[in-house]
Amino acid sequence: MSWKNIRLVFMREVRDQLRDRRTLFMITILPVLLYPMLGLGIVEMMLTFSEQQRVVVVLNADDLPQQPTLLEGDKLAEAWFPEGRDNPSLLRILVDSQVNESSSAKTVAKPRRGQKTDAELLASARVLADKIQTLHGLHGVHSTAAPGFAQDAAAHDSAKAVLDVAGLQEEISQLFGTSGFQVLVIVPDGYAQSLERMQAAIRDESHGQHTSASNRSAMPPVLVIRNSADDKSAVAFSRVQQSLRAWEDAVREKSFITANLPPDLQHPARLAWIEVAREEQVAASVWSKLFPAMLVIMALTGAFYPAIDLGAGEKERGTMETLLISPARRVEVVLGKFGTIMVFSILTALLNLLSMGLTGQQMAAVVGASAKEMVSLEFPGLAPLMWIVILLLPLSALFSALCLALATFAKSTKEGQYYLTPLLMVVMGLTMFCLSPAVEMTPLYSVIPVVNVALLLKGLLLNAPGSENLVVYAVPVLISSIGYSMLAIWWAIELYNSEDVLFREAEKFDLRMWLRQLLRTKDAVPAFHEAGFCFIVIVLLQFVAMTYMKPDLNGADPGLSMMRLIVVQQLTMVACPAVFMGVLLTTSLRATFRLRRPSMQSMFIAVGLALIVHPLSVELSQFLVDHRVFPELPESARQVMMLMKAGEKPTWLMLMVFAVTPAICEELAFRGFILSGLARGGRLAIAIGISSLMFGIIHMIPQQAFNAALLGLVLGLLAIYSRSLFPAMAFHFLNNTIATLHAGEAGRFVADGVFFSRDAEGALRYEAPLLILCSVAGILMIIHMIKAVSKEQDLKRRGIIAAYGEQPEVTQPATATV
Amino acid sequence: MIRVRGLYKEFADPRHGVFRALDNVSFEVRPGEIYGLLGPNGAGKTTCLRILSTVLRPTRGLAEVDGINVVRDPEGVRCRIGFMSCNTGIYDRMTAREMVEYYGRLYGIPEEKLQSRINEIFDVLQMNDIRDRLCGKMSTGMKQKVSIARTIVHDPPVIIFDEPTSGLDVLVARAVLQAVAALREKGKCIIFSTHIMREVERLCDRIAVIHRGRILAEGTLPELADRYKQPDVEELFFDLIQRREEEVASEVRQPEGATA
Repeated sequence: MSWKNIRLVFMREVRDQLRDRRTLFMITILPVLLYPMLGLGIVEMMLTFSEQQRVVVVLNADDLPQQPTLLEGDKLAEAWFPEGRDNPSLLRILVDSQVNESSSAKTVAKPRRGQKTDAELLASARVLADKIQTLHGLHGVHSTAAPGFAQDAAAHDSAKAVLDVAGLQEEISQLFGTSGFQVLVIVPDGYAQSLERMQAAIRDESHGQHTSASNRSAMPPVLVIRNSADDKSAVAFSRVQQSLRAWEDAVREKSFITANLPPDLQHPARLAWIEVAREEQVAASVWSKLFPAMLVIMALTGAFYPAIDLGAGEKERGTMETLLISPARRVEVVLGKFGTIMVFSILTALLNLLSMGLTGQQMAAVVGASAKEMVSLEFPGLAPLMWIVILLLPLSALFSALCLALATFAKSTKEGQYYLTPLLMVVMGLTMFCLSPAVEMTPLYSVIPVVNVALLLKGLLLNAPGSENLVVYAVPVLISSIGYSMLAIWWAIELYNSEDVLFREAEKFDLRMWLRQLLRTKDAVPAFHEAGFCFIVIVLLQFVAMTYMKPDLNGADPGLSMMRLIVVQQLTMVACPAVFMGVLLTTSLRATFRLRRPSMQSMFIAVGLALIVHPLSVELSQFLVDHRVFPELPESARQVMMLMKAGEKPTWLMLMVFAVTPAICEELAFRGFILSGLARGGRLAIAIGISSLMFGIIHMIPQQAFNAALLGLVLGLLAIYSRSLFPAMAFHFLNNTIATLHAGEAGRFVADGVFFSRDAEGALRYEAPLLILCSVAGILMIIHMIKAVSKEQDLKRRGIIAAYGEQPEVTQPATATV
Repeated sequence: MIRVRGLYKEFADPRHGVFRALDNVSFEVRPGEIYGLLGPNGAGKTTCLRILSTVLRPTRGLAEVDGINVVRDPEGVRCRIGFMSCNTGIYDRMTAREMVEYYGRLYGIPEEKLQSRINEIFDVLQMNDIRDRLCGKMSTGMKQKVSIARTIVHDPPVIIFDEPTSGLDVLVARAVLQAVAALREKGKCIIFSTHIMREVERLCDRIAVIHRGRILAEGTLPELADRYKQPDVEELFFDLIQRREEEVASEVRQPEGATA
């Protein structure tokens, strides 16, 4: 690998991109201009929106008490807007008192088109008030202000009342919607007098005079009508509510004073709220939500467009072949291109964030002048900015490598662009997940791509106390991200080495032809994509089954129904798809499902490994749970486990369900059809890796998935090594048997304290000496198998024995070559 | 210089399982000679030349350039060949000089030598007036000149032309052919594929007629005319291809009859 060539390719690509007006526009002009323009637009829209006046109709306002006065002209009194937080002029109060009606008729200007006159508004308000009071009567709420209604209501018989209620509610909602005002306040008749009476009664009482309780309960309610489904009404209502509360406080205070009670009494609990967030922290919480999401999306789009141009674009323009016949190695070409894409990805993300941050700050300043309650959007400090840059590097690297690989795979720029949407969807989904306040960094999340960076950045930008601890996570986040990027780069290099990807020609796709071809040109073992399809079918079936196949936990014997379900699921959703596809798509079931007689040696290894692996896997998963790498088991899974333990089923039944069935079904699918298909290209390591990943994925729960993936590696190796499915089945069966017995055994086994011990819950645990012995033996066996397999591979490569897939029935048994 | 022995190339084909693009192809090309690969479209010419330029790997067989195996040391082979085809595009957003310079540097030519070499090539190909023009703004003829300059910038001993004149007008095609002839005078080993008889007649010292992945006849033009009693190249070409088609047809019929 020559750095000179990488630099040459890199410099050329950067210059090429800089000469491309579209790229320049995307990465610089767009963010620099777009955000300020958007910001300006939003500010303008906000200003025009907040100036809108809403109408509140107050019926029977004359009956409001004189002191304290709620209304001031056609507004709510300034005093009820505490600390000037809101502007009283945003609400126009329309009252129906005779005095005001005559005066307002003169002063109010002619309404604009489409708006109702005050008289019309009042008229519809009165109609509405009538209906509402009727409704209230039907509901049986006594309103002394409208005794007539209450009597009417009593006259209705109950069946009719129900009908009427629904009809009336519908009617009121309709009327309110078309009324033209946003909130209606109905002051009951004689409200002020009632209030005075009550105040007098309280005063008398506090002076030791006894009054009847009925006097006080006679206070009629002020009705406030709104429609919270309508935004305008909701906004107006919240203002009315606030000021009415403040006004009520004043009324109460007055009552206390007239009763000679200390006015302090109205807040007897004396609560005080103290805000400790400093202004920059409020800003931080805004940015901590916005920046990670923006960073992820911009790093992706910033990588994507140059990648399409550098990958599929070069292919399309024919310059790819020119480059490939230069002495530059594929690695050098890929790394040069990767560097270019990464530079543009980083530039795009940073420019976007910078522009967005500055625009936000500017916007906050502009809006803040008119509304004091706006959060300040101060730009994050130097330390968070540094973190943004540091975490952007692995993120950009990952996206750049991924995009380059996709773009190389694509036949044309058009095809390449089709890959953006799914990629963006996945990445957005992961980012959205991180935005939820409940989601915090855990060891598991710190190794999930995209999620790890977004979560860490969110935590660091939040700048909350304790966020210093998050820095520890920077190590796994960076390491895993770099690992993923390397994988993606490796994939891109692989693609550059693959001639059928580089010289792929766009072929006309004919579904009927393709299907006929699929069934006609069968091979002994399935093709790579058929194996992938089989896995997808299994996963989809499981997904569908999740809703329809829930064990009946409330039934007579939940344990049994659970076990029945497991068997059915294994047979129909794991074994069936694989066997069906095997029959349909391959010519040799023997080759596909490896139904060959295994050698004694391989059976021996399988049994030995199963015994050895069990203590290791128990301790490993316990270790991971103790260190909170994986979340606790979900409630449903734990329930199932408890059922299993408590159920006291006969051992043979337990083994049939948990050991025999999975050993047969899962092996047929994963080490049979899927592994045979994946291994066809001769890349056994990759085939085993992918098949065990798939095996892990169908186990759903992270803990089990991890365990299954590890076991899948061993199982895959066993199947390849022995060229037979039976050792893998034996391993699987034994492993599950021991696990089942381990969970169910209750102290029959003697713990000697050196090799075995018991934990607090009485479960059998394994001690270090045993674990070391097991690891050594296990590693020796695995090395032996790997050596045997790679020797065989080498022979195949040199053409001494037939290559895998070409001629599946090799007369020579595998062990002979060991 | 170029040695090809028993070369096979098979592609996975969704329709026929395996498609054999090259079937036991063998030939040799010596320095100072233009070797013509003559065949219709899809005959396997491009596949063969792509294997020589190391972008494709042979399924079986041997291919050597200047004594270097294309599979064992592809980078070494790529340093020693110049490859030009109608597919080898040039970058639109680079000037002619930048384009040639870029490839010169990739070939590892020292900077001073590179500059003098570029000046020399630009003089010979009469492209000094377009040296600073962006390739995207050039006519096809100019582009082809840049392509030739790119092909020979490192002065390779072996030059491969894969249908270099396809899609060109007569004037440009003529200029390209002249450039090829001039390279032979310099003692280069040149392999040249085409489906145009006239070019073969004018240019090639020896030819091989290739069809359906197999070399049907090989030799100098007079030799071939003698061997097949057909003085006209075009007729000769048609005859050979016709004969091969009949062979293939009977081959296909036979196994079908056997299985039925």
